[in-house]
Amino acid sequence: MRRLAALALAALLGLGAPAAAQAPGAASTPQLTADISTDRVEITTGFTGASVMVFGATERLIGPESGEDVVIVAWGPSQPAVVRRKVNVLGFWVNGPAAVFPDIPGFYALASTRPVWEVLPEDVRRAARLGLDALPLRAEGAQAPAFRAALLELKQQDGRWQEYAAPVALAGGRLFSARVSFPDTVQTGDYRVEVLLVRERRIVARQELFLRVDRVGTAASIASVARNAPLLYGIACILLAALAGWLGSVLFRRS
Amino acid sequence: MQVYLPIAEMSVDALLLLGIGFGVGWLSGLFGVGGGFLLTPLLILIGIPSPVAVASGANQTLGASVSGLIAQWRRDNVDARMGVVLLAGGFAGSALGVQLFAALRRAGQVDLAVALFYVVVLGIVGLLMVRESVRAIFRRRAGIAVAKAHEHTWLHGLPFKVRFRKSRLYISVVPPLLVGFGIGILSAVMGVGGGFMLVPAMIYLLGMPTSVVIGTSLFQVVFVSANVTLLQALQVGSVDIVLTLLLLAGGVAGAQFGAAMGTRLRGEETRALLGLLVLSVALGLLYDLVRAPENLFSIGPVP
Repeated sequence: MRRLAALALAALLGLGAPAAAQAPGAASTPQLTADISTDRVEITTGFTGASVMVFGATERLIGPESGEDVVIVAWGPSQPAVVRRKVNVLGFWVNGPAAVFPDIPGFYALASTRPVWEVLPEDVRRAARLGLDALPLRAEGAQAPAFRAALLELKQQDGRWQEYAAPVALAGGRLFSARVSFPDTVQTGDYRVEVLLVRERRIVARQELFLRVDRVGTAASIASVARNAPLLYGIACILLAALAGWLGSVLFRRS
Repeated sequence: MQVYLPIAEMSVDALLLLGIGFGVGWLSGLFGVGGGFLLTPLLILIGIPSPVAVASGANQTLGASVSGLIAQWRRDNVDARMGVVLLAGGFAGSALGVQLFAALRRAGQVDLAVALFYVVVLGIVGLLMVRESVRAIFRRRAGIAVAKAHEHTWLHGLPFKVRFRKSRLYISVVPPLLVGFGIGILSAVMGVGGGFMLVPAMIYLLGMPTSVVIGTSLFQVVFVSANVTLLQALQVGSVDIVLTLLLLAGGVAGAQFGAAMGTRLRGEETRALLGLLVLSVALGLLYDLVRAPENLFSIGPVP
């Protein structure tokens, strides 16, 4: 939090703003400066999900009066998924047709001061992939629109795709902040956060931030051994389980 | 208290896992079954991805069975010779079963096939056990003595006769080999140790006395589940050791309590209870197949 405050202050004073994006022909003061509370989310043995704070400041006042809006969008690594529909065969519900979505983000979160469809035209939203309805959900296999709808619904249910789940908080008209929450099922990998400044139905400034989700400590070593030395891992699992069983029979001996 | 499972890639309440482990372990000690047929559906129910549930369930079954096996071994209730014969058949059967499983997966309906396998096998086994044991209880109440320990059929005319002293049997090795083989196939397809099928098969098909059946089936389950654990770790990489150890921490305690209680129950009462349990799992799974699903759509990783 101290870092957050210091950076926000620095941004306000226009000092040492890191890698601020500038719209063409802008004055030397950056229109938008943003940063993230951490660039690393660590999955430890006690991990139950995490949230990071994205914050920054703009040159002009944000709000409906000035017509400036801030949009924050976070992306996870691509994670192919298959959506199956159950059909009734002779009284049994079995998996019927399926649609495979080969290239969809494993995580997607959008937050903005006003809904994006109010502040940006559709072609811009589609190009920048702002909003769940603007994501290109290309499917292989079954093509019915119901599969796309089901994908959107299920992904939002388990918290991997979020739209306006958390508000963008404003302070002093120019400082903004928003929380991006990751569920405990979050994938490891590189995540990208884009902060956009919108004015007069155009994106006038943008800044990209990066963070990495990694397993650390015991969780990381277990996962890496399981992947890199499966034979060793399998034997270790057998021995550990047998040992635990033997230990239990000694500890809880009741005869 | 939440704990992150590194292979399942999610966090689960540790107390819930300890509780599930204890309950399943208690049943496993009481009945001499590994409990895989209960554990795997329970894990899937609390949201563990099914490959992880199957693989870690097998690994947990191994630990719980070791615990149960030691308890039974101390009571001298294990027919090791019979166990080895069953195991030989079991390894051959599970090798074939893995191929069958792969073929089902290629056909694209592995979920349905596994569910139907569960319903049919558990349903038949449960019904037979309940029917037989209720009959035995009534017979005892009525005071009718049973003339023979087991009936002599064509099975006993087969060659390669071996004396199984602990089981008080002098029979051909062919029937136990076949029993082990058949259960090996089923356990590979259903992802369980197979104790719940082995127990009735040993009683009704081989005519073994209930007292050694439980220990001997645990003996077989230990090795079959070790085999499954290794294969899963190698081929799928879905064994979650954190999940396994949490389930075991509850399970080993439960197994000892169960085994102690099992010695106080009569054989036919134990069998009636196990039969009812097996039957209710079958009915629950059948209900899952026929009831209208809440959401017609489901999402999963690309296979």
